[in-house]
Amino acid sequence: MYEQLKRSLQQHITLTDEEWDLCKHNFRPKRMLKRQFLLQEGDVCRELVFVEKGALYSYTLDLSGNKHVIRFAFDGWWMANLHSFFTGEPTRLNIEVLEDSELLMLDKKNHQILLEKIPAYERYHRIILQNAYVALQRRVENALGLTAEEKYERLIQESPAFLNRVPQNLIASYIGVSPETLSRVRGNYNR
Amino acid sequence: MSITKQTIAIIGAGGSMGSAIAKSLADGNYRLLLFDTDLEKLGSLSEIIQRNHSAADLEPMSCSHESCWEADIIIFAVPHSAEKALAKQIRDVATQKVVISIANPVDVDFENLTTRPDTSAAEELQEWLPHSKVIKAFNTTFAADFEQPVIDGKQTDSFIAGNDKAALRMVSELVETAGFNPVIAGDLTVSRTLERMQLMLMQLTIKNDYEWHAGWKILHN
Repeated sequence: MYEQLKRSLQQHITLTDEEWDLCKHNFRPKRMLKRQFLLQEGDVCRELVFVEKGALYSYTLDLSGNKHVIRFAFDGWWMANLHSFFTGEPTRLNIEVLEDSELLMLDKKNHQILLEKIPAYERYHRIILQNAYVALQRRVENALGLTAEEKYERLIQESPAFLNRVPQNLIASYIGVSPETLSRVRGNYNR
Repeated sequence: MSITKQTIAIIGAGGSMGSAIAKSLADGNYRLLLFDTDLEKLGSLSEIIQRNHSAADLEPMSCSHESCWEADIIIFAVPHSAEKALAKQIRDVATQKVVISIANPVDVDFENLTTRPDTSAAEELQEWLPHSKVIKAFNTTFAADFEQPVIDGKQTDSFIAGNDKAALRMVSELVETAGFNPVIAGDLTVSRTLERMQLMLMQLTIKNDYEWHAGWKILHN
């Protein structure tokens, strides 16, 4: 139930057995089914979510009800709306379950406990935030400066997992093109 | 009240208290996972709820562990004598979750509590689930109160006790959805008083023939 979390921590830091125990007991294990909501627009994001197994995605809805996918999270990734989590303001995001998932949820109070009691966890968290910032920056650069073909090519190179696990309409939304355009781009790419 | 739906597992949903709680929450913004070893009772409860609350989001479950794993809030609607074994079964998926103790550990003659005077059913449950947030609730309300929470023109109070502020807030919302007036009585040790209060109400119910439809109300300015 905690294998991926342990692996993710060990990738960046070393914990004693007591520290790992403390860490583990502050996470809330939760199984969720496809299409259920982890967070809906208007609520405050109170938990950081670690995906042990499965897939989630976050998106905004525009006034016409169109989904704009912000990001995905698969096994071993973190997901949250950090803006809402850190400021306590209501979120504009929805986080939905893409595949039946096993999640580990960490609320603000417990996150604070881990930051205070385990210095190595603070380091881990800093690295995770650093990586998230870099990924976000690349995403903005890609969104602003690349053609649809280039965006798709980069997606395949950087995140091949996307292609097998994410429906085409969500990939199209993620790179900001219509499903028809994506279909044309894929056709050209595969040729 | 949150917009995102919360999931509640009711373990022992086929019993009188379990089904009363399930029915009273069916119109709330909750997904209800109902578990009982008595499949017949579970089936008829699901049918009744679906018939009377067409918008209810509920699922009869075949495994208590699975139910608790999916849940945000777990309600132990079983006798106190069965709680230790159940706690052991679901402990690994109840970490950091709100677990509601509704039990009144009364003996068969309604004369005494079966717990020691320096503890309570809720505190024992907390010992068995050390990483969960045990909250005492729904122990001062009889099953019949859920159908008619207004008695003699007054909305019945429902007392809540626990140590975690966020968990107390969640359970207060739940109690309100069920139709009662939530009153946070104190930390988990207050469960000793709440369980004794209910023992007395049971004794008075038998003596004065309240027909198991009675409750508590604090009168104040």
